[in-house]
Amino acid sequence: MKKRLTRRDFVIQAAITGVSFSSLPAVLAACGQGTATPSSSKPSKLVIAAVQGNEDGPLKKVAPAYKDQTGITIEIVEFPYDQLFEKLVTTFQANGSSYDLCMMDDPWMPKFGTLGALQPLDSFGFTRDSDIPAVVYDVGTWPPPHGPVPPSEQGKSQHLYGITIVGNVEMFMYRSDKSGAPKTWDEVLSNAAKYNAASFYGYVIRGKATNPVSSDSLPILWSFGGNIFDDNWKVQLDSSDSITAVDFLTRKLKKYAEPGPENTDAADRSRLMAIGQAYQSTVWPGEITGIVQDPTVSQVIGKVAYIPMPQGPSGKGLGMMGNWLLGIPKGSKNGAAAADFIKWMLKTDNMRNYVAQGGIPIRKSILNDASLTSANPYFPALAQSFDAVPNWRPRTDQWNAVETVYGTQMNKAVAGLATPKDAMTAAADQIRTLMKNAGYPS
Amino acid sequence: MRRNGLIYASRVAAIALGMAVVGVLYAFPLYWLVATSLKSKAELYASTISLVPRHPTLQPYVSVLIDRGFWVLLKNSVLVCASTVVVTLAVGLLITYPITRLPVPVGLRVGVLNWALSLRFLPPIAVVIPYFAIVRTLQIYDQPIALIAIYSLFNLPFAIWMLKGFLAEIPMEIEEVALVDGANRWTAFVRVLFPLAAPGLLAAGIIVFTFAWSEFLFALILTATPNAQTFPVGVQGLVTQFEIIWNEMAAAGVIAMLVPLLLMVIGRRYMVAGLTFGVIREK
Amino acid sequence: MRAGRPRRSRQERLAYLILLPALGTVFVIVTIPFILAVVQSITAEDGSLVGLRNYARALGNPLLYDALRATGLYALIVLPSEVLLGLAFALFVHRTVRRPALRATLYVLAILPLVVPPVAVGVVARLIYAPGYGVLNVILMSLGITHQEIQWLGRPVLAMLSVASVDIWQWTPFVYLVLFAGLQTVPHESVEAAQVDGANWWTQFRHIELYYLRPLFLLIFFFRVADVLRVFDHIFILTGGGPGTTTQLLSLYMYRTEFKFFDMGQAAALAVVVLISISVVYSLITRALPLERA
Repeated sequence: MKKRLTRRDFVIQAAITGVSFSSLPAVLAACGQGTATPSSSKPSKLVIAAVQGNEDGPLKKVAPAYKDQTGITIEIVEFPYDQLFEKLVTTFQANGSSYDLCMMDDPWMPKFGTLGALQPLDSFGFTRDSDIPAVVYDVGTWPPPHGPVPPSEQGKSQHLYGITIVGNVEMFMYRSDKSGAPKTWDEVLSNAAKYNAASFYGYVIRGKATNPVSSDSLPILWSFGGNIFDDNWKVQLDSSDSITAVDFLTRKLKKYAEPGPENTDAADRSRLMAIGQAYQSTVWPGEITGIVQDPTVSQVIGKVAYIPMPQGPSGKGLGMMGNWLLGIPKGSKNGAAAADFIKWMLKTDNMRNYVAQGGIPIRKSILNDASLTSANPYFPALAQSFDAVPNWRPRTDQWNAVETVYGTQMNKAVAGLATPKDAMTAAADQIRTLMKNAGYPS
Repeated sequence: MRRNGLIYASRVAAIALGMAVVGVLYAFPLYWLVATSLKSKAELYASTISLVPRHPTLQPYVSVLIDRGFWVLLKNSVLVCASTVVVTLAVGLLITYPITRLPVPVGLRVGVLNWALSLRFLPPIAVVIPYFAIVRTLQIYDQPIALIAIYSLFNLPFAIWMLKGFLAEIPMEIEEVALVDGANRWTAFVRVLFPLAAPGLLAAGIIVFTFAWSEFLFALILTATPNAQTFPVGVQGLVTQFEIIWNEMAAAGVIAMLVPLLLMVIGRRYMVAGLTFGVIREK
Repeated sequence: MRAGRPRRSRQERLAYLILLPALGTVFVIVTIPFILAVVQSITAEDGSLVGLRNYARALGNPLLYDALRATGLYALIVLPSEVLLGLAFALFVHRTVRRPALRATLYVLAILPLVVPPVAVGVVARLIYAPGYGVLNVILMSLGITHQEIQWLGRPVLAMLSVASVDIWQWTPFVYLVLFAGLQTVPHESVEAAQVDGANWWTQFRHIELYYLRPLFLLIFFFRVADVLRVFDHIFILTGGGPGTTTQLLSLYMYRTEFKFFDMGQAAALAVVVLISISVVYSLITRALPLERA
């Protein structure tokens, strides 16, 4: 037999429930340790959100020197590439103060710039140093000084939001003990055919889905005259030049590539080169310092040479930027101190020290310093790449989505699941819809 | 008779052989995890893969715990998971005790149990952003308490079902005897019921600990620094863009395995009972 | 009788007193995100209300149905395998292994996959299946079974089987443990009686053990289905959803919408749809196969 609740019982229960609800936040907050208080004077530490891997290794090594000189501890919190981006976006959307500085891959700049997530560096007194390539300042400026500007950002005044601390520009590596430097992509192909052998792959394709294959294929796309967008944000992926480029990579070069290119990432690619099973491939400086030139794991030291990107049929050899910038989140309470740290990193002496720890510099004087070339054989190629003004990825806040679509279709083409034409047509259609929904001209 | 025996024996032998093959397949990934954790970096880059580490070394373990400072994350994991067990069991008891030991309408009992089970169907990815917003509003971002709350929530279904099984099995008379003797509910609970339910609580606690131990998504989103980051976040961090540090990753995996493994081995007597969720009753 | 009634109602009141605050708090904590998700799903990036547009986009996206298909296929592969394998092992060990020491060892072996972090499982799987350095190919080629590298992660069918195999490896022991424990509670007398009657193992299973195990089967089924809808970690590391979108299961798809496309509105709409669908399906199933009888 059911018992009815009397009014008294109901009131008691409601009161208890209400009390427990209202006290819950207080209890939780009391258990927490409180948030950072804004500091007007010098902070005792700065927190940097960094990307885990070769890119932040040298940063971690030089950070203690900053403490010795200024007394400020640098705490570096590391995340893998994907998670760093998510962490930063969620932090920015909540205007969090957890991080005083953040490392950003340059393609993320448009998203952060559009969100207004960073503190402008020019307000901290940064001016252009002639020893640093102009393109470094350009890539850290929002809205971008050249190339198409997203519609919502046109009319905004330009500010510098980030400065490069890892001068990544995508280059090309090949076994110099076997041949001379290829000048064009056609030479790359013929060399690949010539030297391909069992367990010695003529060309290694970094074909894993989304970011990896996108980074690997864009320089080829550009060198053939193709592109993702033109200057008015019109999608160009299904143009004949683009499809030719994709066909070159996924059909012609693939003949001499390692098995399973659709699953190969940078780590796998550099490993193949380091153990002497690859003849040539594109490469990022981070892989060079971390693996290919690392004496503890590499069997090919002294046998590999580095050059800027070979030229395509259009006569252009377009390298691609992948700089890692250091910026200051808007929510940081230690903006001035953070800016001081960035300035410290850029000082020539400190940068030399940074290079000694395996860092990738951006100062022209250091890159062209002949005394450093034997320890860092890729410096001349990097200097040349900077001078040639490398391309950067499309400056749109939708880049993540675009890269995901493009990278998925490219991966299909590399895997042989779709023809170059079908893959690029599908990608072009999806990206058109995506951009249209985001308010770009179509 | 003998022929039957022979056929029977050969059948058992065949099945045993099949089981052995499956056993090898099953154990191999575990072996490979441990083997990889003992290899040096140079060996990972050798041209041929060796099935047994050529120069086994404990360097990856040292590197993970000390050089990378993961012992802090390990400490956080222990703190968060232990607290989760306490909170989950407490809340679980608050919900399970009334519906198993006190006269409530049958509909309520069935309803609560079914609702509890349905919580398990909640895909974390569907609710991670709203929880992030809540955590920020309550200002408990990057604090262990946020993880404890979420983990308790997601492990509650399991705990409720296990506790329900254990509590329902204990005869009502035991408590009634204590009540008739003059004790109130609370004393009856502490003195009489609790000791009897302890094995069940232990089993539930161990399982909750294990599930909370490996959780990754919320740990990543709701924390920002080693203040509250747990071990799985660190393990994932070894998968970098340009290099997957295989040996350290494997070492971290082995370390992560050891704590819950130890718990499960120590508590194995209760585990067997706990795993049937008390659904099966002794006839 | 009359003296008994006030006491019972007091007990009932006590029950509600204990139950409702705890239940209520949990209920609120569970429902708030749902409400937030609903709100987010009907707002645009600039905060204005846009009605059901996000739902139309979410449901109209063909990638959603690819993800559902992939999830369904995955479930079809892993659920029967895990249940049948786990049952086979449980029966086998229960019938033929008598020594407690051996049983204890098997127990320890069986819990190992449960305590390895999913990330580590994914990494080991990658070390086994990856092209180039994957140890599986190395073993197969050295045994002479195959002469060319098999692209475990590159071909769609093989990729799905590879990620499914990891799931089976991880969860079959769980099924084994649960069913094995269940078999322990089967009364010996019934079994012996059946054996005396000359029943073979199949009849014995069908008529005696199955009866005791039925509720456990249901429970396992529910938990595993729930987990398949949430599976993420090891697939993310092993294939990232590839090749193409062949192994992009539901949670990977939602992750991509949320964190790659940053389409918060669509992600929220998707979340709401998923939550509602699951609730509906769940109530239908529990009505047909009640776990907890009155």
